[in-house]
Amino acid sequence: MSLNIDSIAGVFYGYIPFGDIVFYFTEFSLIGFIIALFFTLVVYLTKPEKQLEFQIGDFGDKLNYVSLEELKIRRLMAIVCGICTAFAMLTGDLFDYALFLAVIGIANMGIVSAVKKEGVLSAAFYYGIIAMISTLPLFGASALILAKTGTLSILELAKNSHDLLFQKIIYAVGMVGETGIAPFYAAKAEMFRAPGAPYILMIHLSSLLIIVRTVEIMLNVH
Amino acid sequence: MDIVSYMFGKSIFVGMIVGILSLYAISRQKSDLHTLLLTDLVECAMLVIIAAVGTDLAEALILPGLVVGLAEVLAVSEILIYRNEVRKNNLMSDNKKLRLFEEFLAKEEPYVNTDVNFNKMEVIYSAPKFIGFILVLYGAFLTGFTGGAVMASGLLFYLLSQGAIGNGVSFNDIKHSWEAISGFSGIMWAFWILLGFAGFFLFPEHYLFFLVITGCALALKVGSKLGLIGSLRI
Repeated sequence: MSLNIDSIAGVFYGYIPFGDIVFYFTEFSLIGFIIALFFTLVVYLTKPEKQLEFQIGDFGDKLNYVSLEELKIRRLMAIVCGICTAFAMLTGDLFDYALFLAVIGIANMGIVSAVKKEGVLSAAFYYGIIAMISTLPLFGASALILAKTGTLSILELAKNSHDLLFQKIIYAVGMVGETGIAPFYAAKAEMFRAPGAPYILMIHLSSLLIIVRTVEIMLNVH
Repeated sequence: MDIVSYMFGKSIFVGMIVGILSLYAISRQKSDLHTLLLTDLVECAMLVIIAAVGTDLAEALILPGLVVGLAEVLAVSEILIYRNEVRKNNLMSDNKKLRLFEEFLAKEEPYVNTDVNFNKMEVIYSAPKFIGFILVLYGAFLTGFTGGAVMASGLLFYLLSQGAIGNGVSFNDIKHSWEAISGFSGIMWAFWILLGFAGFFLFPEHYLFFLVITGCALALKVGSKLGLIGSLRI
């Protein structure tokens, strides 16, 4: 299999012939996969913080108690998010990648919305709206790429030149709305100060890795 | 030029226009519930764009797209319901906190009456029968696995809506109807595998006869089997 993606993604190690959904290994995707899995493990093992709130103009600090059940849900969502990020690093199919992005978006919503505060739930709601709107450019762009080239496989698309600038721009816009914008909503709700903070960091990590991976795909597909 | 490539550009255009108009409508909305519904419309426009490709692969892509869209709608609507509960509790406890830079934040959204007594809506009593009847008829017309699925969705919808209204099937009824429907489904399975499918290979010259048997038996089998779920009263 001759590929000219070596210059961007590093050495090509091989692929898993898994039906239509082909996972492939390059230096880049393996490093991303291992990073995502490592941080998923870290999220699984860490204990959440307890949060102490100052009372302004008043005496006595308030300890925010988070029930074990709530924490378990948030941890499950963070682990789902991490696993999806890890496999989004490996996948070799544009539509499959879009589906992974959508699942990461749902998991992000789950992590954010597990905090029982009105402002945080509002932010989760608006993030959900943005994520749902951006399925149009994301899936629409993969459909347009399919219509223009007849394939969705990154390995096939990397072989020849197809002039896909417009489709790639729409795809990137969809990625930004689906996952890339999640840290803004996490920060908008002051998530770092919300009780049980460490699981929130999975949103930031997955968003970062997904943006880097999308850039790599957009450079490979041409 | 075939029909798919003739309609491709127009379908993409329609999808984009629907998406952009929905975005404009969302920007004009004041109620969160309407925002959610209009966002669902954007996802329908996404399905239009995928469907415009019109190949086998595009057909296979519509289903995951639809599932992901539904999952997101469910998640966001759960969040909306919970947010409104939390907001109501906050208003009840009446300790409104001052927020930082409150004068720069958006105004409170207008009050939407969510305490509708749903049991008094006439459409709940009349619509499920009609929709279920139409779906069962259409499923019988389609035959085969697809027809069975359509038929089952009609039955499922009818039974679930009966359960939601309150006059669902009682436990004793379930015990008998469950046995009866699963027995019927088993007989239909035997029909389509043993009579239809095997006969199709044994007597290829009478293929039309066996095709009709297979199609009808499969529709009845899938329809009755999936219809069982409706009597579970979840």
